[in-house]
Amino acid sequence: MDKTLPRGYWNPATETMPRDRLRELQWRKLQSQLEHAQAGSPFWRERMDAVGISPGKIKSIEDFQARMPLLKREEITAAESVAPPYGTLPSVDPSLAIRHHQTSGTSGALPVRTFDTARDWAWAADMWCTGLYGMGIRAEDRAAVAFGYGMFIGFWGLHYALEKIGCTTIATGSFDSEKRVQLLLDQSITVLACTPTYALRLALTARQMGVDLVKDGSVKIVVSSGEPRPLGTKRAIEESFGAFCGDTAGMTEAATIFMFECPEGEGGTHIIESDYIEEVLDPETLKPVDYGQLGVRVMTSLGREGIQMFRYWTNDLVVRRPHGDCRCGRTWDFYEGGIQGRHDDMRKIRGVWFMPSMVEDVVRGFPEIDEFQCTLRMMNALETLVIQIEPRAGIAIGGHVDLQSRFQQEVKRQLSFTPIVEVVGSGVLPRFELKAKRFKDETR
Amino acid sequence: MSHPVPELSTAEIKTLRRVYADLKRLGESDVPAVRAAARAALALVAQALNGQGLDYELYSHNWK
Repeated sequence: MDKTLPRGYWNPATETMPRDRLRELQWRKLQSQLEHAQAGSPFWRERMDAVGISPGKIKSIEDFQARMPLLKREEITAAESVAPPYGTLPSVDPSLAIRHHQTSGTSGALPVRTFDTARDWAWAADMWCTGLYGMGIRAEDRAAVAFGYGMFIGFWGLHYALEKIGCTTIATGSFDSEKRVQLLLDQSITVLACTPTYALRLALTARQMGVDLVKDGSVKIVVSSGEPRPLGTKRAIEESFGAFCGDTAGMTEAATIFMFECPEGEGGTHIIESDYIEEVLDPETLKPVDYGQLGVRVMTSLGREGIQMFRYWTNDLVVRRPHGDCRCGRTWDFYEGGIQGRHDDMRKIRGVWFMPSMVEDVVRGFPEIDEFQCTLRMMNALETLVIQIEPRAGIAIGGHVDLQSRFQQEVKRQLSFTPIVEVVGSGVLPRFELKAKRFKDETR
Repeated sequence: MSHPVPELSTAEIKTLRRVYADLKRLGESDVPAVRAAARAALALVAQALNGQGLDYELYSHNWK
């Protein structure tokens, strides 16, 4: 079947707007957001009062960035704890909400709770539309959403966006992996949405069922979200499905996505700059880094009326590039390789910076490895990375030593330190559908 | 390489703004079904205006 992807813009006017006009648009929206928050939100009013700023006194986006303090996750949960579920944050009466979402709280931290008014939810779905349409999804597509549909925001917005674009949208919340593979075939599904980890798991399930998704399937686009997705993982997904794998990233705090991968620049994920002001800061100095430098993403959302996010420290590590480096015609800058990792997951191992996604990138270059886990341990008073790898079923045990050695050398070549590599039996390591946890730090 | 950039005509912009104003009025209707439909539709039209960089309003706090 023809898997050529159409090109185009969801909102041509703002996606191709000259940068100076885009900046003016951001500034107008920011002023409205600040005034709205000051009038309606006790949290933001107190915060602005505490540093002696008010909307009328802020003269520009640069002035705002210089004077508005960074917002941390703990400050959100603390404000919500004052009077659960939303505390002092909301700028409108929460009874205007039509949706509630919250983070899973699996990390042990208090969950972030949030709500959306009808207006905010329409905006949130439209942010997804911007990304999905940009990837090439159109009304004639048939889409399967592999997602649990619980309180976690995940792919909820994507579901509504697919409907808005006009796609036939199938929720597969209760399906197991075999049933989902069968659905891909029976329903001639052209779009699949899931985490990158789960896309690979579906591909593995298909192989075990004797299904060749490239030959027998119709999937043209795999929309991935929910985890950092190294290029090696993208390529493994694309080879498994014979499809374009488009990355997106969002967060509960934003209610939707803030970036999407452009099919015209591998791994380049455009920031939706009409609706977000994004900064990239050095995590030590908190000063902006230049284009091309790794830093932490700080988000200001311009979209919602219910809850505002000004200068939110996301912990996401990104590398920003100028829009002109992508040939799609959008005037929006992009993040090279999407979210590269989490600042709180970064470790220095014997003087070398390490992020778990770096190991994943190496793993995906070894199609004979199905799953992996990393553990940082103190061994003989030295920080040591132990990587467990699980070979694909059917690989002879005699080949494990060779695989172990080749993998170890490749990690050393790419990451500049030597890990301990252990080969484990088939089915030993945990599998994930959402937010894969493949890194443990036993040194802390 | 960029792609075609279709633009709204002046008449379309005028219509979009008029529809927005009309829906906003209907959003205050005493008839539950009409009020609900108007508010849902208004949210979509508000986003159409925002997406095109035309108008931007945080309005729900004004609802009774």
